[in-house]
Amino acid sequence: MTGPILRIPASYAGAICATVGILLLMLPGVAWAALGLELVALAFWLWARSLPDSGEQLARWTWLRRPAMALWLAAALFLALPQLHNVFAPVLLPTPSDVFLPPTLHVAPLPMSRDPMLLLRTIASLAILWAGLELMAALPLSRPFPDLTGPARPVGPWLTALLPVTGFLVVWRQAELWAAAPLAREIATLALMIALVLSSLRAYSRRSLTATLRWLVVYDSALASLLVTRDIVPGSVAALLWLGTAGGRLISLAGELKSKAARRGPALTRLWRVAGWLAGSALAWPLLADAGFSDQRFHPLEYGVLSAPVFLASALWLIRIVEAPERRAMARPEDRSSLVSRVGAVVTCLLGPSALVYAWWNGYHVSSVAAVFAILPPLAAWWPVRRMLPAPGGPPAETTPGGTRDFALSTFRAVTLIERQLAAAIAGIARALGAPARDLHSGDAQEYLLFLVGVAVLALLLPVLR
Amino acid sequence: MVTPWLVPLAALVSATLVRRAHARHTEPQPWVDAGVATLMLVPLAAIVAWPGSFTPARAAIAAGLSVALLSNDPRDLPQTEVALKIMWVLAAAFALSWAGDALLALASGSARPREQWPALALALDPYALWSAALSLSLLAGLVLLGGAPFHFWPGDLFHGARPHLAPLVAATLQMAGAVWLQRHLDGITSFGGAAQLVRALLTLSAMVALAGGAATLGYQWRPERRVGALVSLQGALMLASLAAAPTRTPFAEHGGISAWAGHLLLASTGASILSHFLPAAAGPSERASVLFRRHPWAGAAGAYALLSLAGAPGTPGMFVWLDAARTLADLKHPGLLFGLTLAWLAAFGVAADEIRRAFGAPDGSPVPARPVPRSLRAALWLTFGALVVLMAVWNWGMRAEG
Repeated sequence: MTGPILRIPASYAGAICATVGILLLMLPGVAWAALGLELVALAFWLWARSLPDSGEQLARWTWLRRPAMALWLAAALFLALPQLHNVFAPVLLPTPSDVFLPPTLHVAPLPMSRDPMLLLRTIASLAILWAGLELMAALPLSRPFPDLTGPARPVGPWLTALLPVTGFLVVWRQAELWAAAPLAREIATLALMIALVLSSLRAYSRRSLTATLRWLVVYDSALASLLVTRDIVPGSVAALLWLGTAGGRLISLAGELKSKAARRGPALTRLWRVAGWLAGSALAWPLLADAGFSDQRFHPLEYGVLSAPVFLASALWLIRIVEAPERRAMARPEDRSSLVSRVGAVVTCLLGPSALVYAWWNGYHVSSVAAVFAILPPLAAWWPVRRMLPAPGGPPAETTPGGTRDFALSTFRAVTLIERQLAAAIAGIARALGAPARDLHSGDAQEYLLFLVGVAVLALLLPVLR
Repeated sequence: MVTPWLVPLAALVSATLVRRAHARHTEPQPWVDAGVATLMLVPLAAIVAWPGSFTPARAAIAAGLSVALLSNDPRDLPQTEVALKIMWVLAAAFALSWAGDALLALASGSARPREQWPALALALDPYALWSAALSLSLLAGLVLLGGAPFHFWPGDLFHGARPHLAPLVAATLQMAGAVWLQRHLDGITSFGGAAQLVRALLTLSAMVALAGGAATLGYQWRPERRVGALVSLQGALMLASLAAAPTRTPFAEHGGISAWAGHLLLASTGASILSHFLPAAAGPSERASVLFRRHPWAGAAGAYALLSLAGAPGTPGMFVWLDAARTLADLKHPGLLFGLTLAWLAAFGVAADEIRRAFGAPDGSPVPARPVPRSLRAALWLTFGALVVLMAVWNWGMRAEG
């Protein structure tokens, strides 16, 4: 006879785990972040195992434990060695006798110098960075995950967009820990810029709006992480800008799954179009201004590399957010005027500019030339809209086969293929090197004795060979 | 401190419950038989509770007793095979170590380690003689601790021996190894050359044990053998602590060797019971085993023991791993510390993977009609409760010190 067993439905258990996990990611400690990511991974596992195609879903989302383990590695190192927190902290040299001279900060040492603690600190920093980047599809191993639907049937397409959110939270909240290590900022900048280009290309190449929106969340998170990485604006401002953009996309993605709630009626559609464009422009603007015009001179390469995806993402948003055709004989009133959708659009509209005003209030400054150039790519995105917007009531605009969309698709596929082959080659080498461990012993007692004799001989020889 | 007697007592009660659950149909009085079998284990539990009275000679006696306990049932062929294998290796290891002891005594003129080092420091004997003797004398300790390349015996033990016996034998043998090494290194700081040699040998051994243990975890498929590999990593932790500070009592902040062995005993008891319910070759999407379908919370209690053995956060095992890591950090052993961190990651990752596979994926089939024996579930809950108490005691102790 079976007694009463407390069984929580997988959907609720997963939702609780994911919510608590994301809340924990907002706390500053790396151990809390590791626990938070572990809970998010657990949520995906709970959802995946409850589906009919659980085998495929479980295999698809197994990689989520990798970033969690990377954070656990960092947390373990910081727990075992609390002094690691101070390894790269600039040291204040003794003030000279002249009190009017500013204090001198000693430059942080490189990880390869003789103190081994520096190496451990660098490993901990890179582990945190790994976790953040991998969740933002900025590392080769898990790059294509935003293409996939999440493991919960009604909200699956929305769930995948949750992962870049966790990635940004890791990068932002743990910035003090990872950004101090040498080369960490450079590595992050490179990985994020590649992710930025690839995510905007992939967003463009996808025909489905839900998939495009998921890739745009990746793009937003990478853009906001670049603001944190390059220390252009304070972290809180970057987070507000990101919240406006990615939050807006997440709301519109949720609305898309619920009767296209963000695209019902011409007024609401127009509001969403302007709100998303404004939030995206506010997020990209400080980055373009800094990348293009830092050190009082123009950097054409950086400006060009960043402005292309910014233009593409803005144009995509403006092109794809078109009024949904009404196919029902009688529309439900709640679909025509979704309160959440309207409030979401207004908040999205206000958040980005407010964050910039807040930054300016706290001393953020951009030269007028940089300000004008930085707004050009998002502004230029309106041009294709005027040209490509469909007639009212007509089908959404599509590009011709073999055109730019195919180019974007093949570029993305070529890059991911090369990355996958590289990763497979490295894994193959690791397996080949580790193969002898499999044959370490066969379980034969005779072999045990041979081992013992071998170690005894080694123990005799090693001191002699000192 | 509550742990010295609480932990072996809890382990003994667990062993009784497990023995009762595995009673043969031919046994007319299963509870009496379980009680008698437990009585035979009391000396091993006493050794774990009070290691102060342990000497190298008594370590050999404890090893002999363990082998005798494993081989007393001729009907149990896998267990008898394990006993033979362990005897085969330990006899040779003790012979080599005793040869080393005899050579050291010959070179120094004393059989007591504390008196040997000042005599050897006079440099009257050739380096080759005392260094070879010292290296050989430590060999039995290395084998008993079960770190790679001697990680085969914990794997064999947990795979072949009966689950009420394996954890106590493993804890006793590993503690014997720790005490063997500790007693042999008594007062070694008075001879710098010997201390340096021992540090180098133990560091190399610890590195091999950590790397080998982590690699074995990745290649083993049978859950019982994975528990054995986790147990061997506990031996590697002891080796790492001794390598960093040969004369300091390892895990001193958490009750010393006795508490280390106590945690090992409890966690391996729970993990060993659980391992018999874990799938050996099932994929992550296959149906859960009987325990996890019929009694998922009892399965979760067992999973806690497995996680504690792996040192997962939130378990008492975490304190053991952290203690070893802090010892290595304090005494500037960053290479070994990094190896320990990687081994911990491997252990934690494998334990979490095992638990996920154990819970499997629900396929809508009805819950099995036949329940898991109540005594086995009680043993799982008992080890879980004792581990929680241990966690609270250590946590409280850390806070009081802080």
